[in-house]
Amino acid sequence: MMRYEVPQLETERLILRGHRESDIAAEKAFFATDASQFVGGPIPPHRAWRTVAMMMGHWALRGFGFWALEEKATGAYVGRAGLWFPDGWLEKEIGWTLMNDATGKGYATEAALAARTHAHDVLGWETAISQIDPKNDASKAVAARLGARFEKHFEDPEYGQIEIWRHPAPADLVNGGMEAYA
Amino acid sequence: MPQKTIPILETKRLILRGPEPEDYPNFKATFASYRSRFMGGPLNAYETWMLYAAEIGHWNIRGYGMWMIHDKNTDETLGMAGGWFPAKWPEREIAWIIWPDKAGHGYALEATHAVRRYFYHDLGWDGAVSYIDPKNLDSIRLAERLGATKDKSAPSVDGHDVVYRHPSPEALASSQIGDAIEMEISHYADPMFKPKGYALD
Repeated sequence: MMRYEVPQLETERLILRGHRESDIAAEKAFFATDASQFVGGPIPPHRAWRTVAMMMGHWALRGFGFWALEEKATGAYVGRAGLWFPDGWLEKEIGWTLMNDATGKGYATEAALAARTHAHDVLGWETAISQIDPKNDASKAVAARLGARFEKHFEDPEYGQIEIWRHPAPADLVNGGMEAYA
Repeated sequence: MPQKTIPILETKRLILRGPEPEDYPNFKATFASYRSRFMGGPLNAYETWMLYAAEIGHWNIRGYGMWMIHDKNTDETLGMAGGWFPAKWPEREIAWIIWPDKAGHGYALEATHAVRRYFYHDLGWDGAVSYIDPKNLDSIRLAERLGATKDKSAPSVDGHDVVYRHPSPEALASSQIGDAIEMEISHYADPMFKPKGYALD
């Protein structure tokens, strides 16, 4: 297959690349733990496999999607971040999820910022949301660091109540740019 | 072993290509319909789109997957057929689905016969199964027309499906099944008789 291209991005500490079969083991382990409760888990291993397959297909269908996050120093798969808009989705979304041993290092902010910059500069997005579980304080902190603001609550038929956070538009970032939120 | 591109398979009436974004609406319509009841459906928009995305990801991970079946003359899509082996599947499966308004022309038989030949000859598979809902009589009949037989000893996906085992490459080559399938397809393509009774895929 591979008729879709995932542009490789680089940040200070991470490489953002397309998912590979070898990333699935880490996702299976993550989805087996309660840490996955804010992103639809825990789910059995076969559904983690399918989640990775879906992320690959999202790129083929939309031309954007989630990147796999590879830690430059170790080459380890530390999570995913990217741009998400399946059929039936509320709005174009910026998302991030870190594997359990990769939290607390600022990786989510670093990766999501690169993804958002790609959305603005390459794809021409004017706005984006992040949907966050109200109890997910770590993720809300990432959203805040990215300059996103809480907008409203939303009752998702599947996930229950979620918070909608709105990211700054490209125009909002002109005077200060990314550094304003670093 | 991901492949660079999805191979294109051609039969007398059909052309099989990888799933493309523009093919999605017909997939969506089928999975929103009662037709999909034996394949986990009907599904909502999100679930359907995610399944379609997973079909594409499957190609990427496994190096094979489900092809979109196109009418050779009009290029319209008729359904899907191919190999399916996501996590949890006990064995590699040969699977198919035909859009509800395209049933009854032998398209599934023609497409499935071609993909099985590809798996056996080009990828070197030594066999395959099909997991079928026991209430899905059309699919059971198709499995039998393909020479598959019920394998009660083989593990199923979740206990709600029955396992049909396809003849091995050797069995297919040394029996009359292959010839019979070719003959049936040729009759669909150039009908001398209209089949009576139930519609066959």
